[in-house]
Amino acid sequence: MISNNEIHIAKFCIESALRQGASAARASLTKSIIDSSMMLNGELDKVTHSADRSIYLYIYADGRYGTFSTNRLVENELEDFIRKAIEMVKMLGEDECRRLPDAERTAADAQTGQELDLYDRCIRDSSSTGRLERSRQLSRYGTLSTGSDEDGFICMPGETPAFRLISEECEYTESLEDNYVCDSQGFEGRHTETSFSAFSEMTIEDKDGNKYSGFWWEATPKFSELDLSECSGKALEKAVRQIGPRPRRGGRYRMVVDCNAASRLVSPLFTALNASSIQQKMSFLDDSVGKRIFPKGFTIMDMARTVGKAGSRLFDTEGVATRDCPIIEDGVVKQYFVNTYMAGKMGLEPTIEDISRPCILPYLEGEALPLAEKGLSLEGILKHCGNGILVTGFNGGNCNPATGDFSFGVEGFAFSRGRVTHPVREMLITGNMIELWNNLIAAGTDARSSARWQIPSLAFEGVSFSA
Amino acid sequence: MNGKQYYLDIFKVSESQLKTLTDTALSHGGDFSDLYFEHTTFFNLLLKDGVVSSGGFHTDFGVGIRVLKGEKTGYAYSENTEMSDMLQAAKAASAIAIGTCGAREYMSVNDRVHDLYPVQRNWRDCSAETFLPFLKDLEKEIFSRDPRIIKVIARMSDSVSDVMMFNSLGELTCDTRPMGSVTATAVFQQNGKTENKTASRSFRIGAEFISKDLVMELADEVVRGIDERFEATRPKGGQMAVVMGAGASGILLHEAMGHAFEADFNRKGQSIFSDKMGQRVCPKGVNVVDDGTVAFNRGSGNYDDEGVPAQKTYMVEDGVLCSYLHDRISASWYGVPSTGNGRRENFRYNPIPRMRATYMESGSADPQGIIADVRQGIYVDEFSNGQVKIGEGDFTFFVKSGFLIENGRLTAPVKDINIIGNGPQALADIVAVGNDLKIDNGTWTCGKEQSVPVSCGMPTVLISSLTVGGE
Repeated sequence: MISNNEIHIAKFCIESALRQGASAARASLTKSIIDSSMMLNGELDKVTHSADRSIYLYIYADGRYGTFSTNRLVENELEDFIRKAIEMVKMLGEDECRRLPDAERTAADAQTGQELDLYDRCIRDSSSTGRLERSRQLSRYGTLSTGSDEDGFICMPGETPAFRLISEECEYTESLEDNYVCDSQGFEGRHTETSFSAFSEMTIEDKDGNKYSGFWWEATPKFSELDLSECSGKALEKAVRQIGPRPRRGGRYRMVVDCNAASRLVSPLFTALNASSIQQKMSFLDDSVGKRIFPKGFTIMDMARTVGKAGSRLFDTEGVATRDCPIIEDGVVKQYFVNTYMAGKMGLEPTIEDISRPCILPYLEGEALPLAEKGLSLEGILKHCGNGILVTGFNGGNCNPATGDFSFGVEGFAFSRGRVTHPVREMLITGNMIELWNNLIAAGTDARSSARWQIPSLAFEGVSFSA
Repeated sequence: MNGKQYYLDIFKVSESQLKTLTDTALSHGGDFSDLYFEHTTFFNLLLKDGVVSSGGFHTDFGVGIRVLKGEKTGYAYSENTEMSDMLQAAKAASAIAIGTCGAREYMSVNDRVHDLYPVQRNWRDCSAETFLPFLKDLEKEIFSRDPRIIKVIARMSDSVSDVMMFNSLGELTCDTRPMGSVTATAVFQQNGKTENKTASRSFRIGAEFISKDLVMELADEVVRGIDERFEATRPKGGQMAVVMGAGASGILLHEAMGHAFEADFNRKGQSIFSDKMGQRVCPKGVNVVDDGTVAFNRGSGNYDDEGVPAQKTYMVEDGVLCSYLHDRISASWYGVPSTGNGRRENFRYNPIPRMRATYMESGSADPQGIIADVRQGIYVDEFSNGQVKIGEGDFTFFVKSGFLIENGRLTAPVKDINIIGNGPQALADIVAVGNDLKIDNGTWTCGKEQSVPVSCGMPTVLISSLTVGGE
C-alpha cells in the first residue's frame, strides 16, 4: 500500500513543480505488487514476484503542457527531474486548452481508496506456499493422465472424440494496485484494488495429429469469490469442442457471439465516441450525439460506480468524478468521452475521458428487455436465432476508425435449429460497425459478473462470412 | 561502445556484488542465475493541429533476477540497486529451486562482439528544441503534397537503454541500445469521405536519424496511393491467390511461421511445427531467416537479453525446417546453442524466445512476372496487425490496401480486409518468390506476453490460396 511518505513525495512533486515555474500540475503515484505461480503439466514451472512504484507528472507551464514519469522516487533526484521537465514544457507550443479540470468536477469521495470495496485485506496474509497450492488446485493434468489409454488418448463422457493432452498451463495470480492522485488545485483521490485470478490453457491433439487449444480465466477483487474448481475443466472443454472442424461455405448468416468474445465488437464504438477521435476526423460516430444511430431499445450504460465490481472507479486519470450514466440510450447516442483538453479544443461540455464499466442492457428484436422480467442466455439466443454461426473467438482483424468498416477472423460453431452442430474455423466476417449494430437481434443477460466490461452474448442478422 | 566500468557506475554495483547476487540466487540449488540491469530514458513529442503541444520524458531503472532449475523459472526484480533490495529479489527468485528435482547444464556462450548501431549523436544530448523544427517541417511538407489533407499528426520518440547482464557462469555483457521512431498520419477528405494514411520509420540509431531526408521519405509515403484508397472497395470474399508485395508482407512470416518456430512453444509440444524439425515445410529454394545482426535494424541487438551475441538464424533453408528460435532454456532442453532470441520488454520480465528481424531471402522470379501469372487474385502491400493460433496454425493479418488481380494485371484497389490462412498450408502453397527482398522499417512491435520491437521483410511472393475477407 502507498505509505504516508510516498503521499508526501507526490505532494512534494506538485510543490516542486509550482516552485520551479509550473502554473499547475498533477501527480499520479502508482504502486503495485503482483505474485504469480505457474504450473506446466502439473509441475511448478515459474514463480514471479513484481513490485512496482512510479510517479507520473502532468505539468502545465506558460500555457504549455508535458507528461513525465520516473520510478526513481528520491526527493533530490525528483527536484532535478522536475526542473528538466519544466524546461522542456516551456519549449513546446502554446495551447490554451491545456489545463486542469475545473475543481468542482473532480471526485470528492475517493479519500481512502476503498470506497468501492475492491480491496481484500486477505492479500496481506498471502504467502508463496498458498499461491503454489492454489496453482496446484487448478491443475487437472494428473487426473487426465491417469485416465488415458496406453496410447495416451483420453475419452471424455458423452460423444466427444478421443484426444491426447499435449500440455496444460495453469497460472494463479494475486495483485494489489494502489493509485494516489493529487493536483495543484487541492484534489486528492485514491483507488485501491486487489485481484485474484486463475488462468488455464489446454492444448490437445486428435487422432489425426491436429492440435487445438482452449483457455479459461476467472478473476475477482475478492479471494472468497474466486472459483478455482472449473477453470481447467472449461479450458479443456473449449479445446475438445473444436475437434473436427468442417468447412462452411461463405455467405450471409445470422451471427451469435459468445459473451466471452463479444467485447471485440463493442470496443470500436467507444473508440469512435472518444472526442479525440472525433476532433482528429477519425471517427465513424462524428456528429452523432442526440441522434438515433443504433436500433431503438439498444442501451449501453457506464456503470462506473458499482460497488464491489472490477472495472469500477470513482475518478478518471484527470481526477474527474465518474457517474453511472447512459452512453447510448434507446439507440440514441447520449455522450462522447470528452476530457478537459478536448472540451476546450472542440467547444464541448467536458464529460469523462473514457468508459469505465460498460454494461449492455438486455435486448430482443427491437425491444429493450426489462432485466427483471426474464433472463436471456446464450442457449436462449441460439434457440431464438435458429440457424447461423456461433462465434466463440476472434482471430486478428481490425476496424477502420474513420469509416467503421471492419474485417475480423473468427472461430466457432455452426448451429441449426438452435443447437450447435459442428466447429468451424478459418472464417472471416466483414462489414460496417453501424450496419452491424443496426442488425442486432438480441443482447443477452449472461455477461460474466467478474468481467470489467459487462458485455453479454449478442446476435446479429445477415453478417457476411468468407471462407 | 562504453566499457564495463561505465555500466557498473550507472548501476552503482561492483563485480564482487554481482557475484554475491548470483550466488544468493542459486542458494537453494538452482542451475543457473542471471541479472539484468537496465536504465532507460524515453522521450516523445506529438504535433497535432499545427502545434507541438504535448511531449515528455520518462525514466525506468531496475534489475531483474532470474533463477533456472531445469526449465523452471524463478523471477523477481528490484526498482533500485541497493544491495539489500537486490538480495531480497535474489532470494525470492531462488525459491523456484526449493523441492524441485531435475537439473540442466547451462552453457557458456562465445563472445563475438558486434557494434550494430554506432551512434553519431546521442539522443540524451539533445533537447526538445532540437526536434521541434523537424516535426513542423514534416507537417508542412505533408500538407504541401495534397490539398485534400485536413489534418496531420506527427510524433517522434526516442529511447536509450543502458543494459548490463551478468550470470552465474561469470559472463558480464553490456550494451547501450538507442531507438528512434517517427510516425506521420495524414487525414484526407474528398467529396465528404474521409481516409487516413500513416507512414513510420524506426531504427536503432542516434539522433542523426532526424533529417530532411526522413521528412521527404515520410511525406512521399503518406500521400502515396491515396487516390486508390478513396476508390477502394472490398472484394468479394473467399479463397483466392494472394500476391504479397515486397516489404511489409513479412508479417506473413512473422505470423504464419515465426511464432510457431519459437522454441518455447515447441518445447511444450504446443506448436503446429513441434514435430517437423528436419522436414520440408516450404517449397525447395525458400530460405527464411530471423536475424539479429542487421545494422541499425529495430529488431537487432548486439546481444540478446540473456547476454548471447547477436546471430543470423536460418529457420528454413532450401524449404526444410532447420532451427527453432532459442533462448537459453530451450537451447539447453534441445541440447543446441542458443540462437540469441532470448528477449524481454524490460527488467520486469523474464526473457523468452522472440523474433528479431524476420524475412525471406530473395528468390529468382521477376515480381512483375509473378503478378502476370495470376489469372484472378489479390495483391496486398500495406498491413496493420496480425495474429496466430500456435497449436492450430491459423494466422490472420489485416490488409490496409491492395489491388485485385485480373488476368495478370492489377485492377481495382481494395482496402480494410482481413486475410486468414493456416501456417503449414500457406507455406506449402508458396508458388513463386521474387528477387526483390525488402525489409520494412516501420514501427513493428510484437506482443507475445511482452512488447518487443521487431521488423520483417519479404520479396514479392505468390501464395496459391488464402481466404480473403470480403462482401
